[in-house]
Amino acid sequence: MNLAIPTPGIRRRSVTGLWLRHAVSFIRYWKFVITWVLIEPVIILVAVGFGVGKLVDEVDGASSYAEFVTPGLIIGNAMFHALFETSWNAYNRIENDVYETALTTPITITEITMGDILWAVTRSIMTVVGTAIVAALFGWLNHWEAIGIIIPTIMVGITFGALGFLFSAVAPHATFLTLVFTLVASPMFFFSGSFFPISILPDWVEPVAWFMPLTSGVHIARGFAVGSLDISHLWASLYMIALTAFIWPLAIFLLRRRLIR
Amino acid sequence: MIKAEEIRKIYGEISAVGGISFAVAPGETYGLLGPNGAGKTTTMRMLSGLSPANSGSISVSGIDVVKDNRAVREIMGVVTQHDGLDVGLTVFQNLFLHGFLGGLSRKISQSRAHEVLEFFGLRDRSKANVYELSGGMKRRLAIARSMMTSPKVIVMDEPSTGLDPQSRNRVWEELALLKDAGVTVLLSTHYMEEATILCDRLSIMDHGIILDEGTPDEMIERHAPKEVAQLRVSPLSIRAVRAYLTDQYISFREVGALISVTGVNGDRPDLSRLKDFEGVRTSYRAGNLEDVFLAITGRELRNE
Repeated sequence: MNLAIPTPGIRRRSVTGLWLRHAVSFIRYWKFVITWVLIEPVIILVAVGFGVGKLVDEVDGASSYAEFVTPGLIIGNAMFHALFETSWNAYNRIENDVYETALTTPITITEITMGDILWAVTRSIMTVVGTAIVAALFGWLNHWEAIGIIIPTIMVGITFGALGFLFSAVAPHATFLTLVFTLVASPMFFFSGSFFPISILPDWVEPVAWFMPLTSGVHIARGFAVGSLDISHLWASLYMIALTAFIWPLAIFLLRRRLIR
Repeated sequence: MIKAEEIRKIYGEISAVGGISFAVAPGETYGLLGPNGAGKTTTMRMLSGLSPANSGSISVSGIDVVKDNRAVREIMGVVTQHDGLDVGLTVFQNLFLHGFLGGLSRKISQSRAHEVLEFFGLRDRSKANVYELSGGMKRRLAIARSMMTSPKVIVMDEPSTGLDPQSRNRVWEELALLKDAGVTVLLSTHYMEEATILCDRLSIMDHGIILDEGTPDEMIERHAPKEVAQLRVSPLSIRAVRAYLTDQYISFREVGALISVTGVNGDRPDLSRLKDFEGVRTSYRAGNLEDVFLAITGRELRNE
């Protein structure tokens, strides 16, 4: 395939143009999307923080269960948004020929993934910032370092934004995308150390949990949230970056195979 | 303006386009006429880079489509087969964002979108959702979108397929306006009326190859009878009429409820005796591209 050789250089307009398209579409439907960006995560936060928190006396490294669970929950939510954008939404854009039309302008497949992942990151940031403000009002984010949660948010947005394409680019039908949630999102949401420290898992599950990229994201976010960062957070970051360096090119390859025939 | 040489596309074992060549002059409207599955869409996709050719070369305005695909898309507008409109956006936003993605500044893209909406008579639908539009309006919007960056060349895959006659006329009028504006158009179609009305020159395609090329008049002159008699026969006499024609060695073909009779060497066949049969209406029409296609391939252009 001739187009398998990407046009050298990245055209900035392609990326901003696609990002703008998503932003315009998002604003049109903001009344509906806001429920997912803000209302749903706050409901979970309140239920777990006030409800489950009453039953748990103490957790390592945090002054209360609510403080422990807050960074995990908001980062988990960032993952859902990034994944949804590049799996379900991107699948619809494939099926409705939105990408095909975009490809009649001077845009490349690589730039399509860049624009979409940039938007996935934007969504992740929106939900994290909104939910974090609510959590801070409840007194569950107490350290100024918590502002740094934006860093794992961006990393999660990129990693899971790229990961979502692996599903949308190969999905034969929309139902296939259920796998995004049953195989990726749900296991990670519950086993990545959001709700309990991974160290309490059986010995054989623990390494599996660390393998999941969200675990690293949650770990970094919690480091910022409780104001205790060490070398382990650097390793977690490098792991996510290494994983993304593998997933993203694969996503580009699969999307190209789907769109350029 | 467009030059395709020996372009070929193979999917697995199937040859979709088998080494075709054609050239389109600046300002010309050139058509690829053929039935579904003839390889027209694949050819259009190869031109716009959506489907790279396996071999051969294509250039647009001197730019090699394979080597510099991005540069080609900077100067070319494309109307894909299925409109490809963005249902998440309004009519105006579809145009504006396409222009922006194409490289226009926000301001220029906005004013150009207004211009294009005016030109295509869609101004009052500017704020409408795309899914509220009729099929004809969607098609016109897709054509309007390809005009956003004021390209010198437009590639159009089946501009009026699936439209009702009124919408089709509207699309044709607008394509005529594009031609007047000096835009080079390459279009594919399986409607012989469309090809006759719009195209300066055309190729007849079947099974991935070009069978003949020329102006519509040349093609008709070359391959079609001057005149074709069309018989509308009531079911009561259909058998008798068939028997009579066969008896008289008059060759005919049946398309739906219509029997077409073509005279040998272009002569008007003697059908005067058909008056004796009950319920036979005879009319004559000039030979057209449909007859050309039949003459070249032995098959109907449309299987209706």
